[in-house]
Amino acid sequence: MTSLKRSLESEQDSANFSSKVYVRSTKSGKVQKIVREVYLRQDIPCSSKICSKCRNTAPANAAGVVSPFVLSDKPAGTKEYPQGHYLVPDTNALLNAMDLFEQSTAFYDVIILQTVLEELRNRSLPLYNRLIGLTKSEDKRFYVFFNEFRLETYVTREEGESINDRNDRAVRRAVQWYNSHLAQTKSKKLPTVVMLTDDRGNIEKAQAEKTPATRLRDYVGGLENGERLLDMIAESQEKGISRDKKAGDFLYPEHFSLSKMMTGVKNGMLHQGIFNRGSIKVPAFPKALIVLGRDNINRAVDGDVVVVEVLPKDQWKEPSTKIIEEETVTKNENADGDEGEDLVTEKERRALQEEVKKTHSTSTEGRAQPTAKVVGVIKRNWRQYVGHVDQSSVSQSAKQGRKQESVFLVPMDKKIPKIRIRTRQAGELLGKRILVTIDSWDRDSRHPIGHFVRSLGELETKAAETEALLLEYDVQYRPFPKTVLDCLPKEGHDWKVPASTDDPGWRGREDLRPLLICSIDPVGCQDIDDALHARPLPNGNYEVGVHIADVSHFVKPSNAMDHEASIRGTTVYLVDKRIDMLPMLLGTDLCSLKPYVERYAFSTLWELNPDADIVNVRFTKSVIKSREAFSYEQAQLRIDDASQQDELTQGMRTLLMLSKKLKQKRMDAGALSLSSPEVKVQMESETSDPIDVKTKELLDTNSLVEEFMLLANISVADKIYQSFPQTAILRRHGAPPKTNFDELSNQLKIKRGLELRCDSSRALADSLDACTDPKEPFFNTLIRIMATRCMMSAEYFCAGTQAYPEFRHYGLASEIYTHFTSPIRRYADLVAHRQLAAAIDYEPMHPAVRSRGKLEAVCKNINVRHRNAQLAGRASIAYYVGQALKGRVADEEGFVMKIFSNGFVVLVPRFGIESVIRLRDLAEPEPESTFDAENYVLKTSGSRELSVELFQKVVVRISDAKDEATGKRGAKMVLVKVIG
Amino acid sequence: MPLDTSTYNLALLRVDGRRWNELRQQKGQLGVQPSADGSAYLEMGNTKIQCIITGPNERDTKSTSSASTAPTSGGLGATVAVSIMIAPFATVDRKRRGRNDKRLQEMQTTIASGLAATVQGQSYGPRSTIHISLNVLSQDGSLLACLINAASLALVDAGVPMTDYLVACTAGSTSSYAAADEEADPLLDLNTQEEQELPFLTLATLGATDKVVAMLTRLEGMMATAADGCKGVRDFLDGVVRDKGELMVQEGAIGRGEVVSSMDLD
Repeated sequence: MTSLKRSLESEQDSANFSSKVYVRSTKSGKVQKIVREVYLRQDIPCSSKICSKCRNTAPANAAGVVSPFVLSDKPAGTKEYPQGHYLVPDTNALLNAMDLFEQSTAFYDVIILQTVLEELRNRSLPLYNRLIGLTKSEDKRFYVFFNEFRLETYVTREEGESINDRNDRAVRRAVQWYNSHLAQTKSKKLPTVVMLTDDRGNIEKAQAEKTPATRLRDYVGGLENGERLLDMIAESQEKGISRDKKAGDFLYPEHFSLSKMMTGVKNGMLHQGIFNRGSIKVPAFPKALIVLGRDNINRAVDGDVVVVEVLPKDQWKEPSTKIIEEETVTKNENADGDEGEDLVTEKERRALQEEVKKTHSTSTEGRAQPTAKVVGVIKRNWRQYVGHVDQSSVSQSAKQGRKQESVFLVPMDKKIPKIRIRTRQAGELLGKRILVTIDSWDRDSRHPIGHFVRSLGELETKAAETEALLLEYDVQYRPFPKTVLDCLPKEGHDWKVPASTDDPGWRGREDLRPLLICSIDPVGCQDIDDALHARPLPNGNYEVGVHIADVSHFVKPSNAMDHEASIRGTTVYLVDKRIDMLPMLLGTDLCSLKPYVERYAFSTLWELNPDADIVNVRFTKSVIKSREAFSYEQAQLRIDDASQQDELTQGMRTLLMLSKKLKQKRMDAGALSLSSPEVKVQMESETSDPIDVKTKELLDTNSLVEEFMLLANISVADKIYQSFPQTAILRRHGAPPKTNFDELSNQLKIKRGLELRCDSSRALADSLDACTDPKEPFFNTLIRIMATRCMMSAEYFCAGTQAYPEFRHYGLASEIYTHFTSPIRRYADLVAHRQLAAAIDYEPMHPAVRSRGKLEAVCKNINVRHRNAQLAGRASIAYYVGQALKGRVADEEGFVMKIFSNGFVVLVPRFGIESVIRLRDLAEPEPESTFDAENYVLKTSGSRELSVELFQKVVVRISDAKDEATGKRGAKMVLVKVIG
Repeated sequence: MPLDTSTYNLALLRVDGRRWNELRQQKGQLGVQPSADGSAYLEMGNTKIQCIITGPNERDTKSTSSASTAPTSGGLGATVAVSIMIAPFATVDRKRRGRNDKRLQEMQTTIASGLAATVQGQSYGPRSTIHISLNVLSQDGSLLACLINAASLALVDAGVPMTDYLVACTAGSTSSYAAADEEADPLLDLNTQEEQELPFLTLATLGATDKVVAMLTRLEGMMATAADGCKGVRDFLDGVVRDKGELMVQEGAIGRGEVVSSMDLD
């Protein structure tokens, strides 16, 4: 009998079988040898519509469906390839110019090779995902050709050949095969298959083999709008060879290798975290480590996942009492380098980690805080950035000519450094909002290098600024795609609640049409989420109903519309624009609880006794007919008008009476009434130009609606948590760490002799109530605004991820809370609706709402979206306040909120803006000053004599000014006088 | 990081270049261990199994302590005892496995009870045991299926009467249940990478018949695919056995008439 080994080996090398052997190292540093089989085949189609041979052998999926062929039979031609051409980019071409491939003017009929796809995935996952997105879009005609599995195009690595060379050879082989394969079709107009590359060596080899190939730049240059497109090619790789510079040219220390960082993190010498505003929070220490200076930041950009090393103690910094300006932050702080560094022994470094913990646990007062330096970047989180071209970086000649030159882009986001871009259209880009991406940041370049993506329009124009804002806060603002619109009811605006109660839509619904229901919302509200009613019961109690738009009836789980809504997460309200989470048809019509028409609703019905205690509660899907849609003002007038005695008004009075009791109960339980400087921008109705800014007024009816919404949310939270203790979607608001209030309570104690207690929300609420100044009604609001900033932000979570005591909503002083009342504009509410429907056995639970993993991902996303929507809304108000102030000068009262040794921050409640006033702004030359940090008093002498202290009332002159750094128009304040 | 299973939909090609309904390359050999009562060697892709049959001989409780046993013919026939050994070098990371590995024990029990249904053990009597030792030499997915197939083959070599081959195969789905993608393709004969990323099941059928009751919607597709795969495996095993028979005839080990009667299993 033959031996086992030999007999099988002889069969191994059949023509259509190969294996892939490679070595990889794991996270723990182990080396593994991986063997994979590779089956080579001949039925992988070329996917060109001119080829009939492949069509016969094209593969089908399990359902027998053959995917349609992708590449056009009449591809676009260029000067060089008049017969038309298909493009085959290599990996570098995609890495450097993915934006180009996403253009709608060119780059059609592209063949993506498997070799390239794999390489791209290794190099950059985001780019890979974008490419996969492209291959799915039908009109771009991108085809993925699995060349590594096709017998004719499979290439084995030769002895001594580098993997890159092997991959380049595979690409050339595939291009050759394509050309000869298409030649067999005998088509009259035979397209050329062209390799696109930036690699000189690859081009030369291709020319030697007579494979059609072209440099990316030459190709783009030959296109119609080539010059514009050329800017979109990333800068980095191209000059790779000529960049061998001396070590002295490097501006930044080298990053550690990944394995070195991993080892360091593992043994506790290095720390990993997300770089955020010049500091980094790491799990090892209770407080964030500070990273100061350009060298220490070492090319980290906000949001990157980095590894840091704690600096020796003599480089720690005391907490600054100065307003730090950008220039000082980026100043080269330790130019001498760190020669002494290597002499620090392991033991000393261990001791240093302990020292950090010790310092963090003691109070911050006056002690040097630990600082750190970035030693490496684990993962870049670069996105696209909006900004404007720094005027000073553009040469005069560039304004007319078409010469390529480097200019600086100043991002809107102050946390992002200037980005260097090369462009031929510097002159045109001046004064525009533009979108760029960062490509790389090498050691020898002071600034990151990026490239131009697209121009949004003139600076300070409404359209450009709004789009910039949406991009900066990552708000999805593109129109809904067709797949989403296809999910809408076919009847469109004509959709009606079915007349017959036998219709399936009526299944399980209660007919609540006879109830006198009305809605109360801000003026001009179109997406009416909620409506209310109240009526007395024979037993002396009241029946109160909150009716919420039944969005989950229209948006079924896991369809395209649901998916889009879950990505958007929330509707974003800007001053002049609303970016909807759901298509208009649903949001403002079919779901919206408009008056006088029948609508589907999800109702919460309570029986409340006259003290507003809940006797019982039930939930039901229903059909309602709202009798009237009031604005807050109208509702208030109607309630106050004693001549109105109809039932609807009586119902509203009952609601108001009950809501006041509910509010009182909530306050007794320790709910906080917090504050933020809210203003409303008044627009001219025709041009929608801002004309004035008003602070928001609050009426009783505002709080009426709010109280019942809170009650509904709490009741629903209880119900879904009972039914689904693992998966219920809830909202929590963590208690703020005590240290957050340290500074504020110290300030209050010293300046006003007031005490701020924060051991519980009740104590905090009470002590905030006590913070008043009889002479100054706004003082209390000011303190509330400042206290609000010490709070944590509330978040959505999945019940199973937290222990019950952690569910608490600190601000509302409720044990459990969720969002249920605004499903048109918040995705969390929609999920809560589905869970509640399942909890009352209205419909079975869809798996997507049941899987905890999915829900956690949803929560994570909507938390981010929610935050971004808030920031975008605020930024929009700030922009319009700036515009409203344009050309005006006003003297307004303001309050000192913060005080530093070289300036102070003033809040102007009238406009809800705050701004820094520096000492050097006070007078020329800069006055001498003494700063009493203990008592928060800043005294100046010399050119101007003043004494400014915290919480003081001042008068400032407000004028508008454009901030050169960010290109935003904002208020500029000048101190007029100090009051009192 | 090479591509993963998510690229299947791009060109209907799996990570190793197969289509959805293709088995991996298979190799099999009978009688690889002349000193044993029966033996076989089977490869399905890079999963490589050697199976040794000892017996039937008198029951010996000591030697079956770590094996899983199942009686044949309703307790009237011989007992089937299955033990699996995974060689330390069978996986990417070299590691030793204890005999108490619960997953191994489960597989042993599954194989034993499966084989007990097809082995005609009554000719040996209830006090005898057929020992089936399965040695995993290399592991690359579909382990249970491959073990069952190797055991079937070795039992044929040992001349143990069976009603038919017990054949097994895995099938997976390109999408998970939660994704609720009804168009997901079923995949046949998964390798390790696919097993790690996709939901799958192992299905054993008795020879050419496929008495399988279909259940849930998408599961049906997977089961049908696996059942087809089982047929393919059965044809392959049959081929191996017949080749061996031919060879034995050529070498003159057995007379022609005898071969036909004992090797004709259909």
